[in-house]
This record gives sequence, structure tokens and C-alpha cells, in this order.
Amino acid sequence: MPNAAYRHSFYKGLIAGLPLSLAVLPWGILAGSLAIEVGLRVSEAIAMSALVFAGAVQLAVLGMLTSGAGLLSILLTSFMISSRHLLYGMAMRPHIAQLSLPWRLSLGFLLTDEMFVLASPKGGQFDRWFALGAGLGFYLSWNLWTLLGIVIGQQLNDLESWGLDFVIAATFIALLIPAIKNSSSLLAALIAALLSVLFSWLQLPGALLLAALIAMALAYLLSPLIDQQASSLVQSEQQADD
Amino acid sequence: MIELLLLLTLITFGCRYIFLEPKLPIRLGYKAKHFLSYSAPAVLAAIASPILFMPAGELALHLHNPYIWAAVVAILIMLSTQQMLLTVSLSFIVFIALGQYL
Repeated sequence: MPNAAYRHSFYKGLIAGLPLSLAVLPWGILAGSLAIEVGLRVSEAIAMSALVFAGAVQLAVLGMLTSGAGLLSILLTSFMISSRHLLYGMAMRPHIAQLSLPWRLSLGFLLTDEMFVLASPKGGQFDRWFALGAGLGFYLSWNLWTLLGIVIGQQLNDLESWGLDFVIAATFIALLIPAIKNSSSLLAALIAALLSVLFSWLQLPGALLLAALIAMALAYLLSPLIDQQASSLVQSEQQADD
Repeated sequence: MIELLLLLTLITFGCRYIFLEPKLPIRLGYKAKHFLSYSAPAVLAAIASPILFMPAGELALHLHNPYIWAAVVAILIMLSTQQMLLTVSLSFIVFIALGQYL
């Protein structure tokens, strides 16, 4: 491919990422303003988005810092929220693993839910320049939105009384609905929600993590009984393994 | 704080990169993948539910809790439109409005 074609793919990816970049605007503002609210320095709040670059992890960590959770509990919860990216990495392995180290590192760093959805080859070929454009555009806008949130967070005090904690819950609901693909994943969500409230009420340490792990184990064990058929992801993976 | 941020970066980048590394010989087995497939719904629900049912750290299982009603609205909008931005902004408006009455 000549240089012009690379550039064309890159810009195509950049543009394809725009709607999703806009959709996370309130989330980015929230992540930035909450970071200030929780007590991070401006430099730390900027570094959080620039380095960690994971909305769900950032918001969960900020929430846990407010409620005084321990380090181990924070790290384990972050790992659990991030673990879905293990599945994305596995799906992208055939396309990216043979690329050079700089390519692997950049595409790996930019492998978000959004980039995965945009860059997954749908019948066609995987286009690394398209993936880079989509991922980089999303990275820049995420950091811009959190910067905006940091500025807002410094002007306003006591954001929780504005009901912004509800925005976190609403965003997680918006992410949760598409993640429920069959009866067992619905069961996982319901058990996790119930146990998380129960354990939080009992003030158990690591309440969130414990609730999620028990829910995952129960859904895993009960899925042969309650699912009509294995989920399409699991099924196709099974065929690939055979 | 910077130590925490670096550890978090290690976790998020590690999860994204590890299977892109060609030298990594291992693969997740079918059972591990199946178990991991529940991490998204379980973790998301576990984070959201205490915010809704225990605002301000107190159990609030009653009909005067605007978090619960607004969450029901969010679920309905997301189910019918699949629009994340619309779901978050509309349910937030409902939440603010309900706060005036409940």
C-alpha cells in the first residue's frame, strides 16, 4: 500500500471513532471532575487518563477511594473490570501478534471496547492504520474530556450533591445492557447486584469484588441448565479449538 | 497516588497487550473464557447497585428513592434505543426532576 492509502485508512478510522468519542463526553467530564473531588492533584488527574486510559476502571477506582477501600481490593477490582480486554486481545491476536513491536505496543495500548468494536474485521481484512486512527482519535478525545472535567471540578464543589454519582450508575447500566447476552449473563448481573448491596451493607471488605466473583461462579456453574445454547462467542471459540 | 496510577496502568495495559505478544505460548482454555465472559455483566452490576440502593451509604429500599426510579428509566431507554449517550442524559434529567418531588 502506498503512503496515501495508509493516510486514507488512518483518517477513515479517525472519523469512524467520532460518534463514540462524543458518547463518552459526560463520562470523561465525570472522570476528570471526580478525580479532583476525590483529592487528586491536577497533574495526577491528567496522568490517570493519559496512562490508565480506561473509563470504567478510573471511575470505579475513584469511587472506591471515596469509600476508603484498601489497595488490594482496588487493584483486584480493576483487574476484574479490565479482564474483558483479555478476550479482545485474544480475538485480535491473529491480526496483531505478527506486527512489529511498536505496532503491537501502540495498538495494544489503544485496545478499548470502542476500538475493538470499530477495528474488528467484519468479513474483510484487518486494517492496522484504520485501527490506529480509531484508537488514537478516541485516546485524544478521552483526554480532552477529562481535562474539561478537571477544569469544571476545580470550579464546582461537592459534585455528589449534583447527582453525578447517578451518572456513573446510569453509564454502567448503559454498558451492562449490551453485555447481557443470555440467561446466565442476566443471572450473573442480578446476583452481583444483590450481593454487592448485601455485602456493602454488611461492610465486608472487598464487597464489590466478592459479589462479582460469586456471581460469575454461579452463572458459570448454572449456565448448562439455564442457557438455551452456548453463547455465540463461546460457541465459535469452541469450534476454533476443535 | 502516582504508585497507584502506575499499578493501574500495568493492569489495564497488561490485560490489553498480553495476548498480542507472539512469544506468549499459553492460551486461555474454553472454560476460562466462559468464566471470564461473565466478568463484564457481574462487575458492572456490582459497581452500579450500591450507588442505586445505598445512596449516601444508607440502605434506601423504598419508593422515595429517586436513584431506583431513574435507573428503571435508564434500563428502559437503553433496551429500546441502544443509545448510550441518550440513556445517560435522559435518565439523568429524570433523576434531577424526581429529586424535586420524592
